[in-house]
Amino acid sequence: MIIHRRFFFGIVFSAIVLVPAFSCRDKTRQPALEQASGTGTSSGTTVIRYAKGFSIDYHDHYKVLHLLNRTGDKTDTLHYLLLPEGAVIPSGYPGTPVIRTPVKSLAVLSSSHVGLTEFAGVADRITGLGSLQYINSPVVRQRIRSGIVKEVGVDNSLNIELLIAMHPGALLTMSNPDAATGKNRTLADAGVPLIPIAEWLETTPLGRAEWVKVIAALVDREDIVNPRFDSVEKEYLRLARIGSTATGKPSVIIGMPYKGSWFMPAGGSYMVRLLHDAGAAYHWEDTKGTGSLSLNFEAVAPEALKAGYWINAGSVNSKAEISARDPRFARFHSFQAGTIYNNTRRTNDIGSNDYWESGTINPQLILADLIRILHPDLLPRDSLYYYKQLN
Amino acid sequence: MSGIYPKIRLIGLLLLLLLVFLLDIAVGPVKIPLGDVFRILFSFPSGDSTWQFIVQQIRLPKACTAVLAGCGLSVSGLQMQTLFRNPLADPSVLGITSGSSLGVATVMLAGGNVATLYAIRELGLSGSWLITAAACLGAGIVMLLVLVLSARLRDNVMMLIIGIMIGSVTLSIISIWQYFSAPELVKDYLLWTFGSLGGVTNSQLPILGSVIGAGVIMAWLSSKMLDALLLGENYARSMGLNPQRARLMIICSSSLLAGGITAFCGPIGFVGIAVPHITRQLFRASSHRVLVPACCLTGTLLLLLCDLLSQLPASQTILPINIITALIGAPVVITLLLRQKNINAY
Repeated sequence: MIIHRRFFFGIVFSAIVLVPAFSCRDKTRQPALEQASGTGTSSGTTVIRYAKGFSIDYHDHYKVLHLLNRTGDKTDTLHYLLLPEGAVIPSGYPGTPVIRTPVKSLAVLSSSHVGLTEFAGVADRITGLGSLQYINSPVVRQRIRSGIVKEVGVDNSLNIELLIAMHPGALLTMSNPDAATGKNRTLADAGVPLIPIAEWLETTPLGRAEWVKVIAALVDREDIVNPRFDSVEKEYLRLARIGSTATGKPSVIIGMPYKGSWFMPAGGSYMVRLLHDAGAAYHWEDTKGTGSLSLNFEAVAPEALKAGYWINAGSVNSKAEISARDPRFARFHSFQAGTIYNNTRRTNDIGSNDYWESGTINPQLILADLIRILHPDLLPRDSLYYYKQLN
Repeated sequence: MSGIYPKIRLIGLLLLLLLVFLLDIAVGPVKIPLGDVFRILFSFPSGDSTWQFIVQQIRLPKACTAVLAGCGLSVSGLQMQTLFRNPLADPSVLGITSGSSLGVATVMLAGGNVATLYAIRELGLSGSWLITAAACLGAGIVMLLVLVLSARLRDNVMMLIIGIMIGSVTLSIISIWQYFSAPELVKDYLLWTFGSLGGVTNSQLPILGSVIGAGVIMAWLSSKMLDALLLGENYARSMGLNPQRARLMIICSSSLLAGGITAFCGPIGFVGIAVPHITRQLFRASSHRVLVPACCLTGTLLLLLCDLLSQLPASQTILPINIITALIGAPVVITLLLRQKNINAY
C-alpha cells in the first residue's frame, strides 16, 4: 500500500491509527523536561513548555536532543549529539549519533516540516523533499524550479541512494528510525542522521508548534525562533481565554463518513483541544485516545443531524459536492444552515493546502478562524485565514 | 428435492430471513424502541425525526444492500463453481473481483485529473451508473480472459491458477496506478476496498437492485445450461445445448452480479465461495433451478447475519464486513464438509 505524504496526514488527521495513550514508561530514560543550566551555545537555550515528544539539554558548546521513540506500544528515547562543526566529541556519549551544527542542508519528508523550517527562517536550506508536488512556501517552490531541491520520496519509495549521495545535514522523517522499512537503518548506517519529527502525535496545538524548537536547535537559531514562538504562544493563549470562556457553545462535527464509517477525532487529539479552546461543544470530547474514533455513521447521525457547525468536511469544495457524495448529508442542520467550513482557503494553484504546512506553526491563526466561525461577535471582524465557508 | 421436509426447511429459512432482516433494522448503535422502528418502517408518524432518519436513511438501505449483495455474490459464486467445475471457484479467487476493482479504479483515479473527477462528481446518480458499468465491464473482461485461456488447458486446477495469476496482474496494475495518483483519490479508493454495505443510499438502491435483479434472472433462466455443464460438455451437446452460448450467458450474468456489487460495496470476499457449499448441503440439491433461488436465500441470510454482527453490540464502532463474512462463513463450510466428507457435485 502506498501512502502518500499528504494522504498520510489525512489519515493521521481524519485518522485510522489510534495512537496509544502518550506516556513514557521508561522512567529511567525519561528526558528531562527541565533544561540543564550552563552557559549554552552562542544561540542561547530554550525551554520546552508544551511538547511532550522531545527535550533538549544544553551543555557548554554542545546540545543533546532527546526524542521519545514509539514503536507499537513500546516507548524509549532516542538521543542525538548536536555538536558544532569541528568540535571534538565529548566523552560519555558512546554510540550517540552526531549532528554537526548549524545544519546547512535539510531533507524533509512532510508538509509540516516545511512549515516548521520556514518559520525558523531556514527554508532555503531544504535540499530534499518527500514530494515536490505539494508545496506552498514560495522560497522552496523557487528552489524547486531552479532544480536545487531534489525529490527523495517517502516511506517505501524513499530513494536511499539519492539521499546517501546528497548527504543532508539531517533528514526529518515522520516515523521512527526502526519503523516499517529497513531503509531507515541503511540510511543511519550511511551516516545520514534521521530525526523523527512526531509533531503530529502531540495532543495540543502549541505542543505541535513547539517542535519548531528542534529545528532551531539544529540550525543554532534559538535566539531568533524563541521570541517568534513566544508571540505565537501569547496570542494563542489570549484567544483561548476568549474562546473557552464564551457563553453558548455551539455543537460541532468533524470530517465526513465514507461507506458507513466516520472517523471522529478522539478526546486527546489536538483538534479536540482546538475546538475546546474555540468554545465549541464536541460530543466526543471525553473519549480516550489521541488519534481518532472509528464510528458507525448511525452512531454519529443523531449528533450530525442537529450539530450547529460542520468543520473539515472532507475533500469537497461546495455543498453541491457534499450532497453528490451522499444525499443524506443534505439533511444535516449545518448543511441547511450553510455552516460548513473547510480548512482549504489557502490551497494554491497546484492543489497544495497551506493548512498542513504553515498551519502547524500557526495554531493561533487556526484558533482565531474557529472562534470567528463559532462566535462571530467575540473577535473583531476579519476574513478567515485557513478556513472557508462552503456554499 | 421432494417430500415435506425440504418444504418445511424452506419455510423455516424464509421465516428466519424475515426475522433477521427485521432484527438488522431494529438493532444498531442508537437505541430505538422496537415499536418506533415498526411505526417508522410502515410509515406511521413517529415522534423523533432523528430515529426516522436513522431507520429510513441508514438502516433500511443497508439491510436492502445486504439482501442484494447476498443474492448476487452467492449466485455468481454458484455459477462460477459450475462453469469451472471447481468447488474453489468464486469471483474473488478467479480475479473477477479484481477485474471490477480495476474498472472502479479506472473511473475513480481517472488519470488523476481534477477535471475528470469533478465531472464524475457532478454526474451524481449517473456517476454511480458509470462506476457500475466500469466494474461490470472489468469483471467481464477478466472472466472472458480466464475462460479463453482455460479453454486451451481443459484442466480445472490450471484454470484456477490462471485465474489467480490474472487477478494478481490486475491488482498490480491498480497498484501502479495508485502509486502515481493524487493522494485524495487514492484515499477514496482505498476506503472503498475495505468493503462496506453502508455506502449505498436510497437513491442508488434502484440501480443496484436492477443490476442484481437482471443478473439473478439471467442465472435462473440459464439453470438448465448450468445443470448440463455440470455433467460435462459432451453431455450438454447431446442435450442440444450450445456450450459456447451457455458460457457467454453465464459470464454476462456473473459479471453483472460481481461487478454491480463490487462497484457499490467494494470487494466482499467469501460469500461467493461459502454460500453455494452451504446451500448444496442444506438443500441436498444439485439442480440449479433449486440452487439459484436457494443460494439467494442462504446468501441473504448469511450477509444479514454478518451485518448484524459487524456492529459490535453496545458499541459505536463498526467492523469491516469482510472480516465477519470469513469469520462466520469458514467454520460453517468446514462443518458441513466434514459431515459429508466428499464433494460429489463435481
